[in-house]
Amino acid sequence: MYTILYFKIKRFDGTNEWEQSYSLPYEKGKTILWVLNTIREQQDPTLTFTSACRHAICGSCAIRINGNAFLTCKTSLDEVLDIFNTNHLTFEPLKNFDVIKDLSIAWEPKMEKMEQVKPWLIPSNEGSVESGFLQDEEDYHKIAAPTDCILCGVCASECNQLAVNDGTYLDPFILNRAYRFAIDSRDAAPEEHIRPVYENELWKCLHCMQCVTKCPKGIPLTEQISYLRQESIKMGEVKNQGAKHAFAFHDDVRNKGRLNEMMLPVKTDGLINTAMTKIPFALRMIKKGKINPLQIPKAVEGIKGVREIYKFAKEVSES
Amino acid sequence: MTLRYAFFPGCTLESAAEELMISTQKVASALGIELIEINGWTCCGASHIQDVDELLATSINARNIALGEKLNVTKILTVCNTCTLMLRTAKFKLDNRDKLREKVNIGLNNAGLEYKGTTEITHFLWALIQDYGLENLKKKVKRPLTGLKVANFYGCHILMPPDIMGFENPMNPQSMEMVMDVLGAESVDFDQRLACCGFHAVFPAEKEVMGLTGKNCLSPKSSGADCIVTPCPLCQMQLDAYQPDAQKGWKEDITMPILHLPQIIGLALGFSPKELAIQRHVVDAIPVLNEALQPV
Repeated sequence: MYTILYFKIKRFDGTNEWEQSYSLPYEKGKTILWVLNTIREQQDPTLTFTSACRHAICGSCAIRINGNAFLTCKTSLDEVLDIFNTNHLTFEPLKNFDVIKDLSIAWEPKMEKMEQVKPWLIPSNEGSVESGFLQDEEDYHKIAAPTDCILCGVCASECNQLAVNDGTYLDPFILNRAYRFAIDSRDAAPEEHIRPVYENELWKCLHCMQCVTKCPKGIPLTEQISYLRQESIKMGEVKNQGAKHAFAFHDDVRNKGRLNEMMLPVKTDGLINTAMTKIPFALRMIKKGKINPLQIPKAVEGIKGVREIYKFAKEVSES
Repeated sequence: MTLRYAFFPGCTLESAAEELMISTQKVASALGIELIEINGWTCCGASHIQDVDELLATSINARNIALGEKLNVTKILTVCNTCTLMLRTAKFKLDNRDKLREKVNIGLNNAGLEYKGTTEITHFLWALIQDYGLENLKKKVKRPLTGLKVANFYGCHILMPPDIMGFENPMNPQSMEMVMDVLGAESVDFDQRLACCGFHAVFPAEKEVMGLTGKNCLSPKSSGADCIVTPCPLCQMQLDAYQPDAQKGWKEDITMPILHLPQIIGLALGFSPKELAIQRHVVDAIPVLNEALQPV
């Protein structure tokens, strides 16, 4: 095992950015937050980071370690040394946030952004102050996982769409908040949470799985995104590229069993847009033999069975 | 002992990435691996169908797996990250949720099938390491790829989410480097090594994804790589076929050839670039390979 650990910490004083090196003797069984506290207490009182509860409840201590977001109080130093197989660790503030100083980030702009999805309960008439607002066990379990969110920002830091987006796309924790109220049996207006999500580029999620992988609370964020998309479709929002693309796959599997790559752009973008924007792409694909415009896909063996499965899934969703 | 797998090719191998079908079959045959294509397989849903209907997405993959189970093999093998993730996601849910499995099996029963859960789902990259063994692969190398600098672009869906994929830690995977090492190629470290290619949102997020493609090509280029190698045909398609479109957003030349994993293995086994259908790529990889590769 290592005797000395080396840390490079990204510093920022509001004007200048620099990387500062520190080292500590290795100690077994410590957390990353212990590293930060030890450096601040013993070596550099100017090092700024946020933390409070030390129990993965307050969500204030997330940073990036060797490029990956972690909650420092919940993360074992030994585990990190093992994952990256090195005693050289780089600490940086979370990505996709404004940085205030060193490792501390600005939450206010994110909270303002979150207000769009109305992250509060819009109560239905079924409950009242006098009688209370009862929920059965099954409905409670639906909100249990999304309520675990501690707003640590790990998901937002890792989101690949946020990293390239102009700022419209909503952070995964905001999508989670919209989901949490949209799915609550006591909420009277799920659409009021879902519509702003839809209108803020819901279909731009890249399906990279970073948010669901890194969430320290194991919240199924990608399944929530699927749910929000399904609901937006039920609200009638089907004439957008995302929904049309998803339906192209859905319909091709029912019709032939396999994807018709030739027709995919037309089904997603429409004939005119495809002709205007995808012709150079199509020509280079045809030239390399990657798509064959004359090939008519045959239905797979057992296609009748596939359609039976579709029929069954439809019956279940309608029941 | 011959390794036998139920083979799930996935849709891209039938047209846009037919070169991956050609190279996978050549390499498997040269290594003595038997791939039995699953009769009647359908599209895995490509991470889209669950956005319309989650039960359906699970059910069509339960059907795919059930067809594979009938072949009496221990594993279903794919060469596509997303196919692997979709099949494993369905299996994970079906194996862990009894009520869901019962429900899905009612639908499958209407198609004369039953999901039993007896078969594992693996990817070609994992099978080489876990089942075939890198020491055995090393014995088959006829032309070590000495001097070839490769950038390993993993793609998200072979790594994440780890609860479902679980082969290696997604924050520091090493499988591609281990294979390249055996082939004699030099793995180049680069910033975008674990980046997302953006393929699944190339229609609704075209502008963002094209920017990402440029970045994903420039990063290995500035690290001195001769080519990118990826275990996923969707990453390959995004980085290769859309590269001319992505170029429009950059002043710098982003040209970077993109190879499929079985193609680079095939080169080390002594196949020519043509035999592995490398000429089918949009960005020509053959000049850089000719320069780097020794004659067999």
